[in-house]
Amino acid sequence: MSQRRNRLAAAPLIAVLGLVAFAGPAGASGESVGGCMAEHLAEAVEENHGDLQETLHDEEVQKDLEKCFEAPNPILPETNEIIWGALSFGLLFFFMAKKGFPAVKGAMDARAERIASDLDAAEQAKIDARAVEADYQARLGDAKGEASRLIDEARGAADQLKADLSARAEADIADMRERAAADIESARQQAIADLRAEVAGIALGAAERVVQSSLDAEVQGRLIDAYIDEVAGSNG
Amino acid sequence: MADPRVDAYADALFAVAAAEGNLTAVEDELFQFAQALGSNDDLRATLADGVVPAARRQQVVEDLLDGKASATTAALVSMVVAAGRAADLPAIVAAVVERGAASRNRAVATVRSAIDLSADQRSRLEAAIHTSTGREVEVKVVIDPSVLGGVVTEIGDDIIDGSVRRRLNQLRESFR
Repeated sequence: MSQRRNRLAAAPLIAVLGLVAFAGPAGASGESVGGCMAEHLAEAVEENHGDLQETLHDEEVQKDLEKCFEAPNPILPETNEIIWGALSFGLLFFFMAKKGFPAVKGAMDARAERIASDLDAAEQAKIDARAVEADYQARLGDAKGEASRLIDEARGAADQLKADLSARAEADIADMRERAAADIESARQQAIADLRAEVAGIALGAAERVVQSSLDAEVQGRLIDAYIDEVAGSNG
Repeated sequence: MADPRVDAYADALFAVAAAEGNLTAVEDELFQFAQALGSNDDLRATLADGVVPAARRQQVVEDLLDGKASATTAALVSMVVAAGRAADLPAIVAAVVERGAASRNRAVATVRSAIDLSADQRSRLEAAIHTSTGREVEVKVVIDPSVLGGVVTEIGDDIIDGSVRRRLNQLRESFR
């Protein structure tokens, strides 16, 4: 980046230096009339071997001197200026073509490339964002489906649990009812047995008292005799 | 399984009674005393109490048997009580009675009755048992009012129950 900036700065600097260094002399087109005349006279005197009078009367010399009074062309520059200008332009063009243009072109290319890259990145980011959004939507859909499935499962499990609890409760109630009936029956039988035993006890107690009161010595003796006879009558 | 000490005491008492020549009478007296001891918890506790001095326990025995049993019986019971074996006396006496009966080639038939049996009834019962089982026995009567009436005879592990109590129990069972 910094190299590109240096190149961009160097291009106008080189152009200014070219203009300063290779510009034509200012007096090339704006030479004074006296100077022009003095120069022409000096040359003509030298050609005439120092004879000033002859030189002044020479028609050729006079024409040249008159030319010194003619104004320069307001449109067409002086030849030397054209040459210097062309040289300077060529030199500047050369340097610009060699250094400035590649630098500017490189900068422009780099900028275009960077912009294109940024555009590509933006496009890619957009694509990625869309992919993320699609993925998010898919995940959201999955989550909704999963949630729905879990809710259905929970509802099914709750229904099953409710049915199981109900069945168990009914079974428990039936079992309790059965046990209660069995307990009642058992208690009834026990009460009957107890009552029967109590009645038997009362009756036997009464019978025992009657027997005891009737078992005098004579009866006891007869019972013993009867026992002896019974033992004697039994065999083994 | 017989206790060797019971057997030892039974052997000693049997030998003394035999030596004194009144084995049968001593057997009966010992048997009656053992029955009385078995039916009287206070007497049994007193005679078996090691805290009571031996002389005091012997005095109790002598007071109980004085004039009611022979001197041999009183001396033998006193000896067993003084030795601190009053609790084993019923078993010892049973062993003595068995030894006496065995010496006469007989078995012991323990007869429980609400009243005592006459001599005729005893002899007839012995004959009836012999007729019934083929075994010669000697009847030892135990007065047991819980029998109410009739007789319960035990010969070893055999029981011949002709008591009123058994009939009442059978009647009680029939009510159930």
